[in-house]
Amino acid sequence: MFRLQGSKVLAVDLTGDAVKAKNGSMVAYDGEMAFKRLTGGGEGLRGVVSRRLTGERMTVMEVRGQGTCWFADRAAEINLVRLHGDRLRVESENFLAAEAGLRTGTDFTGVRGAAQGNGLFTTTLEGHGQAAILSDGPAVVLRVSDRYPLTVDPGAYVAHQGDLRQTFQSGVTYRTFLGEGGGEAFQIRFEGDGLVYVQPSERRTIAGDL
Amino acid sequence: MTIPANPGAGPVVHDPLTLPGDDNVDEYTFCVELKGNPWFLQKGKMIAYYGTVAFNGIGHGPLEPLVRGSFHSPLHASDWVVAEGSGKMLLADRAFDVNSYDLDEGNLTIRSGNLLAFQPSLTLKQSIVPGFLTLLGTGRFVAASNGPVVFMEPPLRVDPRALVGWADCPSPCHHYDHGYLSGVLGGLRALTGLGGASGEEHQLEFTGAGTVLLQSSEELLPERPVGGAPE
Repeated sequence: MFRLQGSKVLAVDLTGDAVKAKNGSMVAYDGEMAFKRLTGGGEGLRGVVSRRLTGERMTVMEVRGQGTCWFADRAAEINLVRLHGDRLRVESENFLAAEAGLRTGTDFTGVRGAAQGNGLFTTTLEGHGQAAILSDGPAVVLRVSDRYPLTVDPGAYVAHQGDLRQTFQSGVTYRTFLGEGGGEAFQIRFEGDGLVYVQPSERRTIAGDL
Repeated sequence: MTIPANPGAGPVVHDPLTLPGDDNVDEYTFCVELKGNPWFLQKGKMIAYYGTVAFNGIGHGPLEPLVRGSFHSPLHASDWVVAEGSGKMLLADRAFDVNSYDLDEGNLTIRSGNLLAFQPSLTLKQSIVPGFLTLLGTGRFVAASNGPVVFMEPPLRVDPRALVGWADCPSPCHHYDHGYLSGVLGGLRALTGLGGASGEEHQLEFTGAGTVLLQSSEELLPERPVGGAPE
């Protein structure tokens, strides 16, 4: 059971079950806990290989025990996400914790990742349960539907869930090369049905200055 | 597959119908409603938008009449763009507090890095104080601050790093505590620029009638690179 204590600390109540969490993100616990490093994101040999190949590195530990365990990371804001059989895609650097019932994996994102400087792959969570994701400032959750497609700055993108198609769009014109660019040279457009999480801050991206 | 209206415990899900028009979504995010009317926007502060919005740099071209009327800051021209179109656009900056302010035939000067966006009914000019911009006229603008903004009234001396801007009062002057220049040590300091004491000898002094805007932090994050994500 995940609950937030304030907006920057995640408390997880465990009764003999396990959670996956970012390595080293435990700040306190009571009761009995065992921490085990999971190689390759806990996805078995296939995970080790695919994470090595894709560069979508994620060091994850498994926490199992009785009691309450608290997690936090660099005073970043924590957002809770509940999955009902759908799939959440999140940058591995924004992943904090997930219930054991959620399968993790890697997925190809295409050019979006390249524009973000995060590589071409992203981490996926699938199944039923809760997950916690990190953002710089509380994330704003935006619904995408057929009537309302959404365009997002790659630097502010954190995660998305649901059945979404993403296309990469470029605002680079001849004016960009004259030093009169629009400042939003690369954007990701989401269409379909789902939710997108954006943070009120932008990472430095290669497109940021154009 | 269904997605509940409210996944998890906390976050509220927004869509174009529930997003406010020209108001705050939360403390750190501001939503601008575009209906064909242009907004001036500091580069890279858009985080997401619904609808169709075009971002154009300030320069020659179709924007010329707009720029001629509202933008008189050649030093900052490369930092600003014009957003035009229809839809709702979210603005945010380094997870700073974001607020909008209305000016009515007003005169407000603000640190250039803190101004995120303004309506073209306002005119932007370079302030005589380096690093600050002055907005004149009537309209709405959006500004960021590191921590909530505090409003104070002159006469008052403020720490230069906590200053966000000022409205309707004369430009400030520097004030140095007298002890800074007196005595042998003070003379050495004046000659070499080395040494110091409490770090509070230098202030900006405001006089006259008006309002001074302060942020609750003395930390001016570097203008660039913008705040990073957790790793």
